Amino acid sequence: MNIDVIWTLISLVLTLFIFSYLFGDNPVFRIATGIFVGAAAGYFAVVIIYQVILPHLVVPLIQGSILALFPLILSGLLLTKLSPRLGRLGNVSMAVLVGSGAAIAIGGAALGTIFGQVRAAIDAFGSQANTSGTSPLLLGVEGLFLLAGTVTALAYFNFGGKEQAGQAPARVAISAWLSGIGKFFIALTFGAIFAGVLTAGLTALVERADFVIRTISTLITG
Amino acid sequence: MKSPVAAFVAFVIGAIVLVGYFIPAAPLQAIRTPILDWAIVLAGFAGLVAILNLIFGVHIKRIREKTPRQGFSWLVVISFFVVFIAGVILGPTNPNVQNVVTYIQFPIEASLMAVLAITLAYASLKFLQRQRNWMGIVFFVATLFFLVVNSGILSFSSNIPVLRTLVSAAHQLPVGGARGILLGIALGSLATGIRILIGADRPYNN
Repeated sequence: MNIDVIWTLISLVLTLFIFSYLFGDNPVFRIATGIFVGAAAGYFAVVIIYQVILPHLVVPLIQGSILALFPLILSGLLLTKLSPRLGRLGNVSMAVLVGSGAAIAIGGAALGTIFGQVRAAIDAFGSQANTSGTSPLLLGVEGLFLLAGTVTALAYFNFGGKEQAGQAPARVAISAWLSGIGKFFIALTFGAIFAGVLTAGLTALVERADFVIRTISTLITG
Repeated sequence: MKSPVAAFVAFVIGAIVLVGYFIPAAPLQAIRTPILDWAIVLAGFAGLVAILNLIFGVHIKRIREKTPRQGFSWLVVISFFVVFIAGVILGPTNPNVQNVVTYIQFPIEASLMAVLAITLAYASLKFLQRQRNWMGIVFFVATLFFLVVNSGILSFSSNIPVLRTLVSAAHQLPVGGARGILLGIALGSLATGIRILIGADRPYNN
């Protein structure tokens, strides 16, 4: 039997095992997920070794880079996290990782998201009027609608409230009013996101169903 | 016990990386670039530690303790070692190793996504039954509406100017809310990042 046929059969069996979940959680489904977790973890480990550790640590060490000793020591300390007794030794390594990660997150949030989205909210008021040919009035209305969505959705995430004697803290009246409108925009956005996820899922369902039907018909007809 | 050394290291490393975003001075970049390289190596090692913990700390432990579900742990461990050993010897780009991705990972991921679509559709109907408030109804109507828009059934509208404008406007409807949510997430990330850098939160301490 051709090796490709064997792989295709494995693929078919695993697909059917996963689809068995539609009848509830069962051992066959767990067999497929067990194989998936193990294979994915193994492949991920290999990718880390080949794409990160070899080029960024081992090759510089072989080339005699003294700077590469720091990540070597820090990585060694990080491995102590596997032991409950020695785990504290890895705190400095985690601090380097978390410190640089936090700085990257701050930079990304500020430069990538906050500045970018504020700029886009301003641009919605008609900077494209000359290029798109849309009337400035229409762009202004659209910009206002988008701005209202942005401000009220943000207001919804403000959970601060005034302390009241004998009562639970409540939002300030203006905040409560804005967050009420914000709820509408958030529901609308989540609806759109949910529709996108459903569309992607249905596309995957059609692709898998097509694969199962084609493979079985090929096996039957030879 | 809180470690002041780790907090100091996190602050110094974070400050150098953060300042490097705004001040592109050569001496600063000369320090920042190797630090980012170290962070990449450490992130890789952290990934390996997580995988080793999954295999040895969870599944091999389950096998040793002979728990009722040890059979599935055997599957995880065996498939891990087969792929790992083959991958280390042959390399991740070898066609035989790539077959693991093509014929095991991709079909299972796609099938899980397909099952998710059915589960989500069922869950959303249940959600509407239980949450019969206006927010639930807006969510449900928006879902149906964007399913129709995403399906491409309205593609004929490109020939009708009024309909084309309406479909284009419909795509803009969720943008305001999405922008608000994105800004909320970014402000949350900013606050959390600053709290970590100043040592108010110390997730690196055991």
